[in-house]
Amino acid sequence: MATPRPSSSDDDAFNIVATYRRVLAEDPDLTMPVAAIESLIVGLANTPSTTVSETLDLVSKLTAQLKSGISNPISLSAGTDLFQQYLISNLQRARGDFDQARNHLVQNGRLFVERAKAARETIAGFGKHFVRDGNTVLTNGGSRVVGALLRNAAESSNGSGRGSIRFRVIYVVSHSTTGNSVEESETAANIAALRERDIPVAEIPPTAIAYCMDMVTSCFVGAEGVVENGGIVNRLGTYQMASLAKAARKPFYVVSESHKFVRLYPLGQYDLGIEQNIVDFRTAKGSERGKKEAASDEGVADMEGEGVRSGSGSCTPGDEVDYTPPRLISGIITEGGVLLPSAVSEELIKIWF
Amino acid sequence: MVGQTPSLTTFLKSLKQNDIETSIELFISLLKRRQIKNSRPCAIATTHLLLRVVAEPKRKWDAQKLIDRVGHVGRRLVAAQPREMAVGNIVRRVLGVIREVAERDEDSLTDSEFSGSASPITGEFKQRPGLPTRFSEFSPLHGAAAMPHNMHSGRPGTADSMNVEFGGTPQRPGLMSSNASYAGQGPSGTSLFSILQHPQGRSPLATPPTGTQSPAMGPSPSRRTTGGEANEKLDIKAEVIDGIKELQDELDVVDSQIAESALDHIHSNEIVLTHTSSQTVQKFLLTAARKRKFTLFHAEAYPNNHEATHATILNGAQGEEEDSDERWKPLTSLGITVILIPDSAVFALMSRINKVILAPHAVLANGSLLAAAGASTIALAAKTHHVPVVVLSGVYKLSPVYPFDTDELIEYGDPSKVVPFEEAEFMNKVDIVNPLYDWVDCDLVDLYITNLGGHAPSYLYRIVADHYRLEDVDLNAKQDVAVKKG
Repeated sequence: MATPRPSSSDDDAFNIVATYRRVLAEDPDLTMPVAAIESLIVGLANTPSTTVSETLDLVSKLTAQLKSGISNPISLSAGTDLFQQYLISNLQRARGDFDQARNHLVQNGRLFVERAKAARETIAGFGKHFVRDGNTVLTNGGSRVVGALLRNAAESSNGSGRGSIRFRVIYVVSHSTTGNSVEESETAANIAALRERDIPVAEIPPTAIAYCMDMVTSCFVGAEGVVENGGIVNRLGTYQMASLAKAARKPFYVVSESHKFVRLYPLGQYDLGIEQNIVDFRTAKGSERGKKEAASDEGVADMEGEGVRSGSGSCTPGDEVDYTPPRLISGIITEGGVLLPSAVSEELIKIWF
Repeated sequence: MVGQTPSLTTFLKSLKQNDIETSIELFISLLKRRQIKNSRPCAIATTHLLLRVVAEPKRKWDAQKLIDRVGHVGRRLVAAQPREMAVGNIVRRVLGVIREVAERDEDSLTDSEFSGSASPITGEFKQRPGLPTRFSEFSPLHGAAAMPHNMHSGRPGTADSMNVEFGGTPQRPGLMSSNASYAGQGPSGTSLFSILQHPQGRSPLATPPTGTQSPAMGPSPSRRTTGGEANEKLDIKAEVIDGIKELQDELDVVDSQIAESALDHIHSNEIVLTHTSSQTVQKFLLTAARKRKFTLFHAEAYPNNHEATHATILNGAQGEEEDSDERWKPLTSLGITVILIPDSAVFALMSRINKVILAPHAVLANGSLLAAAGASTIALAAKTHHVPVVVLSGVYKLSPVYPFDTDELIEYGDPSKVVPFEEAEFMNKVDIVNPLYDWVDCDLVDLYITNLGGHAPSYLYRIVADHYRLEDVDLNAKQDVAVKKG
């Protein structure tokens, strides 16, 4: 509001990274892409702009700031990309109606959130199709939408409250010493909710996945981002679970809202464009990585608006992700139905081209 | 129909005399008694019945009423025999036709509020039909003039697995545009924009930008070139009847269209393995046999289809009409060596086989298929020996159903075919099952050939999306809503 030009000093007026964190913290049910859209809308509202290109410029600036301010921007970039493409496709068409279009966006931030949550509910509604009597389901927790899907399956009955589907759940729980408390409490809440509904839940450490695999009928995981080739980026350990499921010929389903589709084409684990300090080679003199970073990271550090980054460019423990290639995925359950991994690129093509 | 076993032919004859409700009941009982069975007869009977339903005299339909009516009839048919997926497929196709006609109608009547297919699911779904998916305009299935037909052959998976080259087939473009497959207007499926869309109705803002395509190329007028009707109120009934007739035409020509690619797949001196007495496969092989010599191993599909298989090998496949005695020439008369083998010999022979050709009972949305029992053995053996598996299937067999539980898709038949009832002692001591179908996973199939051309299994979702509306995929979901409302 202070600076009409989103050029040099809008950091002072509006801090997108802080807004993003605040939005995410305020509503634990919010996914990262939606939080990113929310923050961009707040940014748009705070910074008056009168022309289309000015708005687009502002949004791309804010997006760049946000991405550089967050250690793992894959998931949120799904939201920012979606928003940017939406703006481009709408604002440019709405020649006379620029103000109306802009106002629509600014005023309906809440509505987007509601829709995103409705999408999750829709997905959860598919649960009863996937989970059958006598099934044993393996999941790696932490995902709200998987939790919702399983809860829905547990409840699905003729409205009597107690579910009619008898199934069991194996939750992979990693009790990391460094502890990502938000994630862990979420997992605990999911497990408690299922047990509350008379669904037997077992908690196993990630090392026991292979041991359990023979009794599992299907696996469900969430995703931080669904990438262009139909693979997913998700919490560390997902790739390994998918590999084991494939080896045991068990279906491996990804449960994800379609706003998590992100235009990224990773060729492998180390091609995600984020720095992760997972493999840390050390000698008696210390970490090899430390030396390299000191040399290369200086230039990058200047570009970041402020030092909001957690750590020096690497993810905090508990936040690491891996990439699961599409060949391991049986299907992606979205609010529009069950997609094959190969259908993801088409959805992305629809909005980008 | 006195003195005749009820069948597809008698049913089609009786359609003209009976009133609609009687016909529906008759079809339901025929389905239940399995006197009409298998995909093609079911599909044909369904189109004829729905044609009668739509053409009901003295009824004036508006779109919504027609959708309700067809949906209601469709649900009864599907409930009668849920495993005959062709019935459900045809019902969905017809619903898609109605929706398309309704939308075209609305398009021509300016932008009045969209009510044609008030989807019960959520508010945002309501807008989706209005959102033209630009991709599907480019899709080869639409056969739009702007589309270079080479794109169709360029599916990497297809070409790699089978060395197919369609591109050169000169008649293909014509085919695509005239009578390829009657797909409804590209259903939008899910748009990623859905959470951002304008909340009130269809906003002019809510359409993607016009890029290379001009707005005039939009979904409505380009597809069916009936001409200057776009400006007047359409006669829904007539339009839908036309649509259903196109569907019937498609069912008539589907085998010939599939057979057109035979020469691309069957090469000289190849050894081909097939299974059951499928008309589609026979036609395909006959077309190839006119030009090329190959050897055919024919697994006999005991105990459910072996008699028909033997008859096919000996006397040729039965013609189009189920009951007529007219038969096509047997392959042997064209100089093809046909070797009949029991199903149990499949694995042993697989190492000598160059190509496996299967005919499915139904193809599911994720690329897996249901076929006569024994198909899974063949597909697994082929996988083990790295022999390509080609599945010949009309689009009408392609179902949007996702195989949540494969066990419940399998139908079990008469156990006395395995062990006859005379052997009562045997019957008392053991359980005898006779599964009619096998489920074959999608990664065992290398190529699907439909009347639209060849597709990798991973591409089938696209064809499903082009032929069925999202709203119609779950026919019963609507019923739930209706029950709740009522």
